[in-house]
Amino acid sequence: MMTHDEASDLLGAYALDAVDGDEFTELEAHLDTCPRCRAELDTLHEVAAAMGNSVEPTPEDLWSQIAVRLPERQEDEEPPPMPLLTPEARSPFRAPTERHRRRRRITVSTLAAAAVAAAAVAVVLGIGLVRADNKVSNLQSAQAGPSSAVTAALHAPGHRLITLDASSQKELAQVVVVPSGQGYLVSSKLPSLAGDRTYQLWAVEGNRPISLGLLGASPSHAAFTMAGSTRPSHLSITAEPAGGSVSPTGPIIATGAV
Amino acid sequence: MAENPGHPKEGAGPNRSHMPSIDEVSDAQLVTSIARYSEVALAEAYRRHGGAVYGLAKRVLNNPTDAEDVTQEVFLRLWNQPDRFDPVRGSLRSFLLAQAHGRAVDAVRSSSSRRAREARDAMRTAEADYDMQREVWDMAVADQVSHAMGELPEEERRAIELAYFDGCTYREVAQMLDQPEGTVKSRIRNGMRRMRAVLADAGVRGADA
Repeated sequence: MMTHDEASDLLGAYALDAVDGDEFTELEAHLDTCPRCRAELDTLHEVAAAMGNSVEPTPEDLWSQIAVRLPERQEDEEPPPMPLLTPEARSPFRAPTERHRRRRRITVSTLAAAAVAAAAVAVVLGIGLVRADNKVSNLQSAQAGPSSAVTAALHAPGHRLITLDASSQKELAQVVVVPSGQGYLVSSKLPSLAGDRTYQLWAVEGNRPISLGLLGASPSHAAFTMAGSTRPSHLSITAEPAGGSVSPTGPIIATGAV
Repeated sequence: MAENPGHPKEGAGPNRSHMPSIDEVSDAQLVTSIARYSEVALAEAYRRHGGAVYGLAKRVLNNPTDAEDVTQEVFLRLWNQPDRFDPVRGSLRSFLLAQAHGRAVDAVRSSSSRRAREARDAMRTAEADYDMQREVWDMAVADQVSHAMGELPEEERRAIELAYFDGCTYREVAQMLDQPEGTVKSRIRNGMRRMRAVLADAGVRGADA
């Protein structure tokens, strides 16, 4: 059994893939149980990536070689589990185009192309949403410290605030969507789920729910994108197995009219 | 937008040789779309990070063909197992580079030319190795990294370079440099921590422990 200090001594070499054999196995076992070492490893991986971050032009046909090797998708195939929607990760490698840009460029046609390729993705732009400025002020006074992105969204012209209630009319979550289709979870009173479950957010158009992403077992912050040509009538939240579901398997926990 | 020639017109299919522009979405959102089998999203991830993945693989492997293989594997794996990327633990770029590095190192270690390579690499001067700031994705980060590496004591920098760019284990580095294993282990650890501190001081986010 490797001690914490022994493991800690090896983290630099491990981040460089320079540990092998029994030490490798023992260190990985330690990492499974030690959040402190994992956190340090994450930062060391960023350092390693910074060192290895020299871009070369890729050979011209390399992408097409990758594209032809993508497995054909079966109609009834479950997609792999989705990553959680989370606040933006810290990184020196934030692509400069990701923020502060011309939001108009998320166009229907761009995302339509993505949706066609994805077959399963139909993304949604909430159009007929009602502004609710009065609720914003309530919300802001009620909230200790909304993230800057959420605050910006709540002040954006044309934003829509959607309240999701349980059947008992109890407010469980609020979501804001700005006209570009970027959306954020503003507040959540959703109870925590077991670790093997997750909340999942859906846009409901007609009878067709379209996944907007996973919120995790204890939702606090989440960002998502709604865009495209269709109009949801409702946003709904269900509880699903941890990897998420293609279509809802659990009952609707909260729903809000768009 | 004039700078966006790859933007697909309505009704036009995605064009693989000019990646369709979905450059508005975050990396984490891209991966969510990849999980829903969006090939366009994978193409965008490749457009953003393919050059870095290929660049690192080529540097470690010293061989363009092997580097292409590694690059293909890394993006196919992102397609098949997108949930392995955890946006809380770091950026997509560093995740993909870590994947590329692991694969490249595996290939190096199984290569029959390994011994010859090691001997050649051992002869190389540190200065000849030290051209990472060339053709980087982000000159600001690269400047900070080269500055941070330049700040390291020579023996720490050498040990890190042999491990990272030549794919040696720290024990092999110890043999090559004729130093005790514990010393090399400490030098790598101290050097990495020093780099992290310099990068954090310089405001490179992600390095702030």
